[in-house]
Amino acid sequence: MKRNSAILFAAIVLTCTSLAAAAADEKPVIPDDRFVYCTVCHGVQVGGNANLGAPRISGLSAWYVEQQLTAFSRGWRGTHEDDRGGQEMRPMAAILTPAEIERAARYVDAVESPPAEVTLDGDARHGEILYGSCAACHGVRAEGNAALGSPPLAGLNDWYLLTQLEHFKSGIRGTSPDDTFGQQMQAAVTVLNDEQAMQDVVRYITTLGNDER
Amino acid sequence: MNRHLSRRHFLNLVGAVGGSTAIYQTSRAMGLLPETGPAPNLDLKHVGRGTKKVAILGAGISGMTVAYELERAGYDCTVIEASKRIGGRNITLRHGDVIDEMGYDQVCNFDDEPHLFFNGGPARIPGHHRRAMHYCKALGVELEIMANDNRLAYTQDSDAFDGKPVRIRHYTTDARGFMSELLYKALDRSQFEMPLSEEDHERLRQFVKVYGDLNDDGLYKGSPRAGFKTGGYGKPGVLKETLDFSEILKSSFWRRGMHFNQTEDWAAPLMTPVGGMDNIVRGFVRHLKSPIVTDAQVQGIHNTGGGVDVVYNHRGKRRKISVDYCFNSIPSHFIAGIPNNFSNDYLQALADMRRGNFFKIGFQMRERFWEREGIYGGITHTNQEINEIWYPSHGINKQKGVVLGTYAFGPDQSNKFERMLPDERLRYAAAQGDKIHKGYSDYVENGVSVPWGRMKFLMGCGNRVLDENHDRDFRRLQLPEGRHFMIGDQISYHSSWQEGAFASALNALEELDRRVRAESSASSRG
Repeated sequence: MKRNSAILFAAIVLTCTSLAAAAADEKPVIPDDRFVYCTVCHGVQVGGNANLGAPRISGLSAWYVEQQLTAFSRGWRGTHEDDRGGQEMRPMAAILTPAEIERAARYVDAVESPPAEVTLDGDARHGEILYGSCAACHGVRAEGNAALGSPPLAGLNDWYLLTQLEHFKSGIRGTSPDDTFGQQMQAAVTVLNDEQAMQDVVRYITTLGNDER
Repeated sequence: MNRHLSRRHFLNLVGAVGGSTAIYQTSRAMGLLPETGPAPNLDLKHVGRGTKKVAILGAGISGMTVAYELERAGYDCTVIEASKRIGGRNITLRHGDVIDEMGYDQVCNFDDEPHLFFNGGPARIPGHHRRAMHYCKALGVELEIMANDNRLAYTQDSDAFDGKPVRIRHYTTDARGFMSELLYKALDRSQFEMPLSEEDHERLRQFVKVYGDLNDDGLYKGSPRAGFKTGGYGKPGVLKETLDFSEILKSSFWRRGMHFNQTEDWAAPLMTPVGGMDNIVRGFVRHLKSPIVTDAQVQGIHNTGGGVDVVYNHRGKRRKISVDYCFNSIPSHFIAGIPNNFSNDYLQALADMRRGNFFKIGFQMRERFWEREGIYGGITHTNQEINEIWYPSHGINKQKGVVLGTYAFGPDQSNKFERMLPDERLRYAAAQGDKIHKGYSDYVENGVSVPWGRMKFLMGCGNRVLDENHDRDFRRLQLPEGRHFMIGDQISYHSSWQEGAFASALNALEELDRRVRAESSASSRG
C-alpha cells in the first residue's frame, strides 16, 4: 500500500505539466492547525495571493519573520488606519505567544513555493543605480543581512515591495517609536524621490533571483 | 378609439380564451411580469454509476446542490471542504458552537434551548426565490414566516427627533400624510403632460386623500394609522400629535428603512427554516450519499485535458484526486493563492472580483423586553453603526430571545467592527442599542459576532465583479475553464443570497449536461 502511494506520488510529480505545481508537490510542508491560518491568505505554501494583498513569504528568513510578527503583535506595524492589509494581519500575530511566533517563523522558513511572477514595469537599469544605496544594508544580491536587521528582498512579490516602499515613504510604516529597524528604513527610503524611482528599484530587485539565502 | 390594441385589452382577450394561466404565461412572454426564475427542472442525463468522477470544492449551498443533483444522475461525487464545518456561509449558531474567525475562536454561550439560535449568514428567503423554495421542499425543510418589517419597531436617528426613537408606524404615517397634503395642494390637472379628464382628476384627488389619510379639506391632521396616543378600545381614541415635518426630513429613515420593504427581496412576507437556517444544510446532509471530506484545504487545481487533478491536505497528508469534472465554490479571492493552470483571462476575471465583508452580532437577552413594547419580530432601523436590530419572530412570550444586534454591510461599516476584539464589538454594539431601548445593554447576557471578512477559509462574502468589467468577466466565469466550473453565489447575479448559490449551481449543471450529451452523441457517432 505504501509502495503504491509512493508510485502514485511519483506519478503526480511526473505528470504535472506546470512547473508551479511540480514545485509545490515536491516539497509540501503541511502546516499544523495553528498555522493553516497563514495559508488562508498567503496561499498554498505561503506563495502569496495578490488578490488579498497577502505577499509570498516563503523564502523569508526565520529571524525576519519573527521580527515582523513581533512588530505586528506589538502594534508597531498594522495599526495605521490606511494600512488595510496590515490591519488584517495584525490580529493574526497578536494571538501568537512568543514561542508560537518562533514556530511560525520556522514554518515559513521551511516552506518553498514557485518564484514570484514579475507584474510591474520599470527601468531595471535605472533601478540598479538606485539600488546601490540599498545594497549597503540589503546586500548586493538583495539577500538581506541579519546583523543589520535588513530582510532579503529577492523573492518577494514586486507589488508588495512597491506597496511597502510607498508605506515607508508616506509614514504608514516605520514611524512607530519602538520600531527601530522600520525607522531606519523610513529614513533610507528618502533616496527614492518618486513613484518612478520606487518602481525602477523594485524592477531591478526582481532580476536578482529568488530565495538565494 | 385607439386603433392599436392596448396591452391590457390584449391580455383580457387572452384571459377570456386561455384562462389565468395563459395570462400569466403571456404576460411573462411580453415582459410584463418580472422573471423570478423558474423552479429547477433539471433533466440531467444519467451517466451510469461509476463512470464519471466529480470533485466538488466547498460544502456550502452551491457545492451541496451540485452533489445532490449529480449523484442522482449517476456521477461519483466527492465533496472537499476546507473547514471542519459543513455549510459554508449558511451558519446557525447555538449553544457551544465555535465561530471560526481568523485569530479569535469565539464560542457561542447561548443557553441550550431550541429557540435560542442566531443565523449568522443568510437568514431570510422570499417566495420568489424559486430555487431556494424548491430545495427546501425537496429536502423536507420546514419553513415559517418571519416578520422582516414591523411598524411597531423603531426608527432612531442621531440627527432627528433629538436622537430619540420613533415608532416606524408614527414616522411612516406622518411622512405619507404630509407628503400627500403637499401633493393634494399642488394637484393642478393642467400641469400634467397628458391632460387628465375631469373624472380622473377627481379620482386622483381621492387617491391622494386615502394615501395620506387626509381630512375632508385635504389637510393632514394626524391619523389613527400612527397608533393612538391613548384609548381607542375601552375609551375614545386620542390621536398622537403629528411629528415635526422638518425632523421627518432630517431623519435618514426615508432613505433606508422606510422603503427597504419595497425592495423585491425584502418585501413581506419572508420565510426562514423553523429552528435555524442550517436546516437546509442538514437537509442536504441527510439526502447526500457522497462523501464530504472536511478539514481538507485545496492545494492545487489542474486541468489535465481529459479531467481535473485536485490536490488537498487532509490529516497531515497531501492527497490527490483525479476526476472528470470539478465544481469549485472556493471564494474567488483565494484562487490566486492556489497553484493552478487556468488561462489568463479566467484568472483575470477572478481577480476582478472584490470581496464584501458583512458583519453581524447576535445577543442573547435575559428577557424579551421588546415584547413589552408590543414588538414581535421585525426590524428597528438606526443611523448608528449597528444599522439594525432584529427581533426574533419565533419563541414569542418565552423568557429569553436572541436578537440581531448589528448588521453592517460592506467595508465602510464593517471594518471598524472587524478591528475590535470580539468582546469590544459586543460592548460597542450594546451601547448603541441603549439609545433605542432603555437598559438594552443590561439585558445582554452574552453574544457572538460574525465578521465575514475574517472568517477562516472565507475572508469575505457577497463577492462582486467590478462594474466596468462586469459583463465580460461574468460571461467568462459562467463558462467552465476546461473541465473546471466556478460556482457559488459569487458566480450569480444575486451575490450574498442563497438563491444566487442555487442559481450558480444549476447554471453550471446545465452547462455540464450540455457537454456530456454532446460528448456521448459524438462518441456514439464515432
